[in-house]
Amino acid sequence: MKSVSLSGSRRENVGKKDAKKLRRDGNVPCVLYGGEEQIHFAVPAKSFKKIIFTPNSYIIELEIDGKKILSILKDVQYHPVSDEILHVDFLQIFEDKPVVISVPVNYSGIAKGVLKGGRLVRKYRKLKIKAFLKHLPDEIVVDITNLNVNDSRKVMDLKLDNVEFLDSPSSIVVAVKSVRTVVEEEEEVAEEGAEAKATDAPEAAN
Amino acid sequence: MLQPKKSKYRKQQKGKMKGNAQRGHELAFGSFGIKALEEAWITGRQIEAARQAVTRYMKREGQIWIKIFPDKPVTKKPAEVRMGKGKGAPEYFVAPVTPGRILFEADGVPLEVAKEALRLAAQKLPITTKFIVRKDYVE
Repeated sequence: MKSVSLSGSRRENVGKKDAKKLRRDGNVPCVLYGGEEQIHFAVPAKSFKKIIFTPNSYIIELEIDGKKILSILKDVQYHPVSDEILHVDFLQIFEDKPVVISVPVNYSGIAKGVLKGGRLVRKYRKLKIKAFLKHLPDEIVVDITNLNVNDSRKVMDLKLDNVEFLDSPSSIVVAVKSVRTVVEEEEEVAEEGAEAKATDAPEAAN
Repeated sequence: MLQPKKSKYRKQQKGKMKGNAQRGHELAFGSFGIKALEEAWITGRQIEAARQAVTRYMKREGQIWIKIFPDKPVTKKPAEVRMGKGKGAPEYFVAPVTPGRILFEADGVPLEVAKEALRLAAQKLPITTKFIVRKDYVE
């Protein structure tokens, strides 16, 4: 999995007043947990652009006062009206412990059903997986070439070495649904065929 | 028009609307949405007018979600009636909306189409809104 480095500085004081001051200065208060101790620190708000405003998931290499720590983004809080980032949680990860993370889903190929006029329905943008750090994939690629109309790929159909999928196995990841126009066209063709047979039949009888 | 199927009590007190939305302020279903920037009581009629504006512009493509429900009854006294003699009759239903609340969500259409459809919807509402896009949205 791709990694991004972020550098921050430890917060001397924690609390509402200090957090508000940090936000005024263009920083975001953050917390890192999952390790031996909780670390409260602040990171410039601009540096979150490459991590949050992207569909990709990253391993984040935090540099807090010269110390490097591997982590993942756990939670982000936004202001309800202005949507500015208020607070970010990071979870410390270790090479010998499995990591639970959401990874983007991508699709390869063009589904047969789509070529016939069906509609591709993507149910999941990200899937939750559990794997060791060295096995974490950048993305999960689902081959949809053989998907016909009314076919689907479920979580249980996905196979990836050393990776465990945590979403419900019966959940549909991607499906090809029939579109109303396609059904109508099929019905029209069927009706025309029936009419043609009906007109042919009396002639044959004569 | 949206309104409750049944309610435990016919009439409600006015209540207060303080502060920003504590829930329903992030996109949950679609890639696009409109967010309230003011507080207001949005009536069932206004929600229906906005919904029609969106569906007509999107020409039954994509999908929309209405994220608010008018479950608060509003009463009104008849014209030229003296004060007192009890609370008026229930007239219509409203959804109390505080700043930050997502009102409509849309998906399955290009950004430009969603933007215009939701702009038309916003015109039917009594408050200022802003158009928002999912943070990890890529065209």
